[in-house]
Amino acid sequence: MSTQNNETTYDTRRQIIFKRVMRYTFVYGILTFFALLVIIPFYWMILTSLMTPDKIASDIPIMFLRFRDMQFGNYYEAMFAPEAPDFLRYMGNTVLVAAISTVGTIITTILSAFAFARLQFRFKELFFLLLIATMMIPGEMFVITNFITVSRFGWVEMVDQQYYHAVLAMTLPFMTSIFYIFFLRQTFKQIPNELYYAAKVDGTKDFQYLWKIMVPIARPTIITILILNAMGTWNAYIWPNLVSTRPAYNLVSNGLREFATAIEFLPQEEYIGQQMAAAFVITFPILVVFFLLKKHIMRGVSRSGIKG
Amino acid sequence: METIEIKLKNLTKVFQAKNKEETVAVKDFDITIPAGKLVGLLGPSGCGKSTTLYMISGLLKPTQGRIFFGDTDVTDVAPEKRGIGLVFQNYALYPHMTVKQNIMFPLENIKMEKEKALERAYFYARLVGIDHLMNRKPVQLSGGQQQRVAIARALVKEPRVLLLDEPLSNLDARLRLQTREEIKRIQKETGITTIFVTHDQEEAMSISDEIVLMREGIMQQKGAPQQVYDEPGNLFVAKFLGSPPINLFEGEIKDERVMVGDAQLGRVEGKKDQDVIIGVRPEGFKIVERSSLKVKVDYVETIGRDTTLIIEKPVDPTITEHSPYIDEDHQQENDHVEDDMAVDEDMQRLQEEGSIEETAPEKKGTFRAIVDADHRIQPGDEIKLAVKPHKMFLFDKETGELV
Amino acid sequence: MLEDRHDFKAWLYLLPALILLIVFTFYPIINTFMIVFMVDYDFLYGDYTGWTLTGNIQAVLGHRQFWPAIRNTVLIAFVSVPLSVIISLFIAVWLNSIKKLQGAFQTIFFLPYVTNAIAVGLAFAVIFNRDYGLFNYMLSLFGIDPINWVAPGSPWRFSMIALLVFITWNGLAFKIMVFLSGLQSIDKQYYDAARIDSASRSRIFRKITVPLLSPMIAFITITSFIGAFKEYTAIVGMFGEQMGYRGQLITIVGLVYEALGEPYVAGSVSLAASAAIVLFFMTLLLTIFNMWVSKKRVHY
Ligand SMILES: Nc1ncnc2c1ncn2[C@@H]1O[C@H](COP(=O)(O)OP(=O)(O)OP(=O)(O)O)[C@@H](O)[C@H]1O
Ligand SMILES: [Mg+2]
Repeated sequence: MSTQNNETTYDTRRQIIFKRVMRYTFVYGILTFFALLVIIPFYWMILTSLMTPDKIASDIPIMFLRFRDMQFGNYYEAMFAPEAPDFLRYMGNTVLVAAISTVGTIITTILSAFAFARLQFRFKELFFLLLIATMMIPGEMFVITNFITVSRFGWVEMVDQQYYHAVLAMTLPFMTSIFYIFFLRQTFKQIPNELYYAAKVDGTKDFQYLWKIMVPIARPTIITILILNAMGTWNAYIWPNLVSTRPAYNLVSNGLREFATAIEFLPQEEYIGQQMAAAFVITFPILVVFFLLKKHIMRGVSRSGIKG
Repeated sequence: METIEIKLKNLTKVFQAKNKEETVAVKDFDITIPAGKLVGLLGPSGCGKSTTLYMISGLLKPTQGRIFFGDTDVTDVAPEKRGIGLVFQNYALYPHMTVKQNIMFPLENIKMEKEKALERAYFYARLVGIDHLMNRKPVQLSGGQQQRVAIARALVKEPRVLLLDEPLSNLDARLRLQTREEIKRIQKETGITTIFVTHDQEEAMSISDEIVLMREGIMQQKGAPQQVYDEPGNLFVAKFLGSPPINLFEGEIKDERVMVGDAQLGRVEGKKDQDVIIGVRPEGFKIVERSSLKVKVDYVETIGRDTTLIIEKPVDPTITEHSPYIDEDHQQENDHVEDDMAVDEDMQRLQEEGSIEETAPEKKGTFRAIVDADHRIQPGDEIKLAVKPHKMFLFDKETGELV
Repeated sequence: MLEDRHDFKAWLYLLPALILLIVFTFYPIINTFMIVFMVDYDFLYGDYTGWTLTGNIQAVLGHRQFWPAIRNTVLIAFVSVPLSVIISLFIAVWLNSIKKLQGAFQTIFFLPYVTNAIAVGLAFAVIFNRDYGLFNYMLSLFGIDPINWVAPGSPWRFSMIALLVFITWNGLAFKIMVFLSGLQSIDKQYYDAARIDSASRSRIFRKITVPLLSPMIAFITITSFIGAFKEYTAIVGMFGEQMGYRGQLITIVGLVYEALGEPYVAGSVSLAASAAIVLFFMTLLLTIFNMWVSKKRVHY
């Protein structure tokens, strides 16, 4: 290279620049393409929720709406019309269930993660292995018996299920999570031992050390767990569907699905606008939470992949 | 502050791994640490210094032996009841708390009244010179500042004993010098019995009232730094102390004369003939015309009033090779390298083909002598050296014990 | 002291989780196994009329929906997993190679992970609508006649294609995120060294990126297969509880919930349990197979 004359060098550099431009055009182009694929369903959801039945049914799909063509009535119909499902109530139910199960989960998780990270006890390794093995087992194995169990507790009465029974049935089985215990234990283990020794020398009790030192230090992880767990409840479908026997006890996903089922044999375009409005209404809070707490959520997810 | 003496009686710690494999970290440790003194616990990495310290602090339970603070047997007393302050190598500051909260934390544990606790915290913060940093978080502090916070946190309970586990090893050379003076000052001011763990002999020598040398869990020697330096009890101690390190020669005692090859280094009385390892401090040489030890100077370094001569060893092969007591770290490294090579078949093949040289050419053994800068000596000069008798130590070739 | 055991204290800390785990995790595993061997298990009273070794298994094997469920489950797993793993790996590599807009792209790609599968499934159903869906419109530009993808009467293969598009789409987010974080944790030095050795980009990808990422790829593949075997909510979201026209998109898990949905019918809980056991063994087989493969292929 060093012996070549200027002209050649010049050409090579131009080639390099040309190649680089090509590369970036390609990479950004293809990323944009995939990003569009990801966005389109959401865009379509919003778009459809703002259309009148005749627009929905138009031969050539409408891709853009001007503001004055937007039909916000769908939202009113979906949320407040007398014959529409009671989505506000479903949201309330979901928030309640999410709050209870998340608080429960975080408490059991913190306590167990502490035991695994910090204390020496008999059968620790064995128990830990047992938990890992359990993670491999498909959830359906549990669901069947858990359904039987909560039924026997009298929480799934077909005739007159009480609200608190439904809430108990929806929350209690989910008040602990082996995965979160591992996740938090990992973070706890990264706290240097010396901190614990220092605290011991200063006469700190284990419980005090846990709440005053470990929990604050592990706060980012704990927040991640809180968010992931709450989002999980918001998106839960199967279990609530099994254990709630009345429409009034629905969580958002169940309400939405019931709505879709109810209109299946009706002229679809009449209702699809409302349905998409409802879908967006239950998607929206998640999006808000996601954009506010993106960092925590993404970190949690990236970490969960590395764990393996 | 009340000062107190610490007595360790036959202290032994055996760690048992899952597979029942036992590590003897500390063995039959038996010393008294005088009240109000700063004692340096010195030894190579893994020799059991931290373990000893943790036993004194109560974080680890001795397998055997007792620990006394004054006349009280504290062996079974919980750490927080012992009245100790502990400073860790990595400081162990609580990262989510401010300096003030860190220092106050031990006081909150004993439920000290808020006002009084604050007053105390500020007193010790001022003592270590960080009272202007009270509202910072540990990450916003320099290493030296963090280190002082750790000391303040250890002192704020007004412990009877201060334990420092390699507190300077995370600092750069300059800060280390400065901080060790600081520790010495604080210790003097508070008069608190202090144990200072380090593997840096210079650090220990400069700061301690007494040093205790450890090796593989066993106490080697104890005494004032200069005394231990001047009268090492065995080869290990002699080697461990001193910078530049002591020079070692393979030699023998013959007719009460100390011989290296044909050269006589000195005389000993009442010692039977035997092979010995001869240790001579670099400053233990002097240039004497009528001496029988004739050597060739390889290299000369003159710094200030001293001249260091790097000199070819008079006898080949050098003793560094086989004695178990010499250059063991170096030896281990070599073993390790050979292990790695053994698995690499490509490497072996290439070596056999002669494409790669097996090892670097053997470096000839040298030793160091520090002499007055008055002597004008050039590399390549032949000089005659004599050894100052009190700077020469004779060790048994097998056991490394002083002869 | 430090190395002392604190059995009592430790189990006290574990107690809340332990009780819940015993009731809702450990006991169910055993119980579900037992139900498989019980005749006409009554879910409310726990009564059963006798024991059977293979009766319930035979019942599930002979169920008219069983083989379609196996076919669908396996098809979903073997199409959507490789597809989404490969696509997301490439997206992650491209994403990792840019600086500008990386965060924005990352956010977009992550959206499907957080959003409700039922809600998005409904949106997909609209996009795949026969008469006014976006997808058929796109096809019409290539002169293809409208296809009934999701509505009643849709042929199985079209429903399945639509479903696979949705499931693959839905699975990208998590994998992209995990691969990206894996890529970002690979030491830049390897790349610098490779570049100095003037390795080409594709060579760097094959010789450095993939090997270093291989433990993660293996892990993601295992978990994705297990996840794909349990596909249910996405299908319900797009096609409804009856799982496609005349249940043609039924999966093993669908079978479980279908049976569990009418627990008073004699034998249906046993049927659900048997189907769950089948799933359990499929998962187990896969896990073992994957471990075996990854032991051979995964670097370090
Ligand atoms: N918890 C433990 N279990 C088993 N062996 C241990 C344990 N703690 C220390 N050891 C072993 O005991 C020996 C002494 O360790 P110790 O930490 O006291 O060394 P040290 O002198 O402080 O070394 P360093 O200067 O590197 O800190 C070492 O061989 C170490 O491997
Ligand atoms: Mg140590």
